[in-house]
Amino acid sequence: MEQAVARHKRVRIIGKLTPYLFISPWIVGLLLFTIGPLVFSLVMSFFDWPVTSAPKFVGLENYTKMFTNDPQFYKSLAITLKFAVLYVPLSLITSLILAMLISQPVKGVKIFRTIFYLPAVVSGVAVSIIWGWIFNSKYGILNYALSLLGIEGPKWLIDPASAIVTIVIASAWGVGTMMLIFYTNIKGISPDLYESAAIDGAGSIRQFTSITLPLITPTLFFNLITSTISALQQLTLVLLLTNGGPLKSTYFYGLFVYNNAFKHHKLGYASANAWFMFIIILLLTALIFKSSSAWVFYENEVKHERKRGGKKK
Amino acid sequence: MQKAKGKSWFIVVILASLFLSACGGGGTAEPAQDGKSAGKVTVRFATWDSEENLSLQQQLIDKFNEAHPDINVSLEAYGSEYDTKIAAGMGAKDAPDVMYMWNYPTYKDALEPLDEYIGKEGAEFKNNYYETLWNYNSANGKILGLPVGYTTHVIYYNKDLFDKAGVPYPKGGWTWDDLQASAKKLNNPEESISGFAFSGKPDPYDFEMFLWGNGTAYVDKEGNLQGSVNSEKSIEVLTMFQNMLKEGYAITTEGSGSTEMKSGKVAMFSNGAWSIGSLKEAGINFGVVELPAFHDGSAVSIVSSSGISMSKDSKKKEAAWEFIKFWTSEEANKARIDYELPVLKSVVESEKLQQDERKQVFYNMLEQSQDYTPASYKVENWSEISDRLGLVFEQIFNPSTMTDPKAALDEAAQ
Amino acid sequence: MKVSKWHKAIVYLFLIGFAIYFLLPFVWIVLTALKTEAEVHQYPPAIFPGMPQFVNFVNAWKAQPFGLYLMNSVTITVLTTIGQLISCSLIAYGFARYHFKFKNGLFILLLATMMIPWDVTMIPLYMQFNLFGWINTLKPLIVPAFFGSAYYVFLLRQFLMNVPKELEHAAKIDGANDFQTYWKIFVPIMQAPLTLIAVLNMLSVWNDYLGPLIFLQDRTKYTLALGLASFKGVHELQILPIMSITILMIIPPVIAFLYAQKYIVEGISGAIK
Repeated sequence: MEQAVARHKRVRIIGKLTPYLFISPWIVGLLLFTIGPLVFSLVMSFFDWPVTSAPKFVGLENYTKMFTNDPQFYKSLAITLKFAVLYVPLSLITSLILAMLISQPVKGVKIFRTIFYLPAVVSGVAVSIIWGWIFNSKYGILNYALSLLGIEGPKWLIDPASAIVTIVIASAWGVGTMMLIFYTNIKGISPDLYESAAIDGAGSIRQFTSITLPLITPTLFFNLITSTISALQQLTLVLLLTNGGPLKSTYFYGLFVYNNAFKHHKLGYASANAWFMFIIILLLTALIFKSSSAWVFYENEVKHERKRGGKKK
Repeated sequence: MQKAKGKSWFIVVILASLFLSACGGGGTAEPAQDGKSAGKVTVRFATWDSEENLSLQQQLIDKFNEAHPDINVSLEAYGSEYDTKIAAGMGAKDAPDVMYMWNYPTYKDALEPLDEYIGKEGAEFKNNYYETLWNYNSANGKILGLPVGYTTHVIYYNKDLFDKAGVPYPKGGWTWDDLQASAKKLNNPEESISGFAFSGKPDPYDFEMFLWGNGTAYVDKEGNLQGSVNSEKSIEVLTMFQNMLKEGYAITTEGSGSTEMKSGKVAMFSNGAWSIGSLKEAGINFGVVELPAFHDGSAVSIVSSSGISMSKDSKKKEAAWEFIKFWTSEEANKARIDYELPVLKSVVESEKLQQDERKQVFYNMLEQSQDYTPASYKVENWSEISDRLGLVFEQIFNPSTMTDPKAALDEAAQ
Repeated sequence: MKVSKWHKAIVYLFLIGFAIYFLLPFVWIVLTALKTEAEVHQYPPAIFPGMPQFVNFVNAWKAQPFGLYLMNSVTITVLTTIGQLISCSLIAYGFARYHFKFKNGLFILLLATMMIPWDVTMIPLYMQFNLFGWINTLKPLIVPAFFGSAYYVFLLRQFLMNVPKELEHAAKIDGANDFQTYWKIFVPIMQAPLTLIAVLNMLSVWNDYLGPLIFLQDRTKYTLALGLASFKGVHELQILPIMSITILMIIPPVIAFLYAQKYIVEGISGAIK
């Protein structure tokens, strides 16, 4: 007993330093590669920097221009939020359904697993070309196929109303990564849990809501945060596929920042744009984090209050 | 003891990861080439050309390197993201020494003025270039690049479709009325054939040529949009294009139109020389003809020029100039002849390009377009104006809006 | 687990439905790669190539020094994967299994680093790497991986949070120190998520285009993704080589995935038992 107490003490002293040692690679990396550029971009947001010549201090001008004198800023913000609202739930649900499907013990599931994962592997250049062909209104593959069925397809990328939907369809194609994350989590759930639930007479839906769903909340939380971030920063696809059109209906915030930086060469302004989005994402993340204690269950925080049926000791 | 051992292991792993990273992958990456290696000056040369022409460019560079034992030119190819890379390089004060260039008004502050270098080469050197091209390779009265290639815009037409519809091929000196008449005859909805195709969101830089053709422009001499971009004549041009859509024998394309043209279902579209190679590969039997003229105007084209520039921050300017001279020499012009229209009069003459069925069209257009300067050279904030105009054109041509040209242009002029 | 007939039928229905959506664009890429230039653009679209042009692959591969690019891509991918696995597992372990001062603040900071768009940090990062003399080497693409990436740390932390506390207690009673606990007990438990991270990292590094574009110059240093992009010019693009190289580039990640699958399936539960 005494020995144990002594050990505990020693552990506590080392324990003070140990966690920092574990995270030290990240701290070093942060200081080496991240902090500098981050601070630099913040400082630049108070400058007028046309890239090709020296920056000039302008105080808050970039920010006041953004909020009071640039209608595109609000438009892009609105479009991006609309996209996020459409895309985040859709991708979460789709990837979760897919992950459930590929965890089913049916024949050939391995092949499907690979098929669903495949799109995430294909490089963006080819993907954007293919989507461009598929959705071309006049000479596109999809509308041709529809015309064979006697349907006149929509003007996908020409009509502003359908363009954002098209982007959502095309982005949802790459949910393989999220699916895989869910899948890894689902596969980590002990089969015993399901077996005892089945003995208790729980059906598949019941098993999903009472076992699977609570146990994957940590990755659901992860996917929610990361897909929110990526939806709000979506750039590649619109850059390659629509370039913001038609009629600026897909002029996402990410594209707005990118064009300000590399088309209009206003790097200071672009930095201000980026930092504003940074704050929004940070607040959103904080909000999700705050809410997480109510719906995310971590095994090492559960301790003994919440006993699950059939849990092994 | 046991504990200490574990602890040291922990530190070893951390150190190892630090060490590994410090080496950056243990010798896989060669040390960076600094300015001089073994007494040679390394000149960085960036090109935007895609792979198709890179091997040829590398061969030319190898030739240059062989002839200049003290210079080593290294080719950097960035493809479609060229501008992003160049901007990043300039922002970080590490731009390539020599680079391809076309958008001089935007990049002018980072480029070395070349007037003095050119002056030293004598008058003959400068006079051998087509005069028009100097305007396009300058900004604020200073020459910032030597012309390497150019293209004017022309009408491409699908000969097979013309034959099938029994319509005679267009000839130089034709008018927009002629084009419309032909397009009407060629259009065939049952076989999804379109008479004429133009971009639904044209690049405003290119589109200005149609205004020129009707005797107007985006801006007046002072650089004001008001009264120019929304002049009677400008409205007339856009109304004409919009009417072609409304009457149903023309379509708008989602890109430049070359994809649609390659489908073999579009009878005519307008583009620069870029499409020649790819249309050939796609097996389209096509011809090119000068742009049509407006009833009492003339056929004028914008010039899309490519030049070669030197970075202001370069520390190897002499070697860079040596290479620029080589890259714009007769020999190099001839070597690139398959994909770039030569810019030297002497080469055009010796290669008899004025007799070439296709190429002569581009040279004729160049000569006819001598006295025009694009708005991008006249205004300070072109990239913003271009954005605004682009949206206005889209509103006029997009089927879901089809905005009245007068109203749209009036708004653009505000 | 027993599965009823109905259940099976529904599962297959969904599997096949989704498979069509996911496969069609991909199949079109494959079919396109086998066509002639004329067939590619033909309208009405030709579904199958008249005569499969396998030579397209050879031509595309030969058009640029892709052997060299492959070497560079493999080097970067392998080293970054090793780096991420080592660093992220340590960092995530620290965040998930300990309580310490500033933990929440630091973790928020970690997440925040995911949120700054690269557009505005790219140029300062370029300057910094230039200062280190790393521009035009593979270092900027490899070294940062050894210091962890927020995305993977976060992901791994989520998995580690789900491991019951009793485990450490048991280890401590057995006399293991902190590092031993991490190394002998938690690394095996993390097998599935670490495999996942390896797969995800391989994927993103393999296809990364902007990093190489900005930090590399010399063509001998290029990666496959950069080589692929050079088929795309400002005005015209070369469809056939793009499609061919895209397909060839898919092969290594897919093989890696097929291989990795079983480690993911063996998951946490297997290790705990």
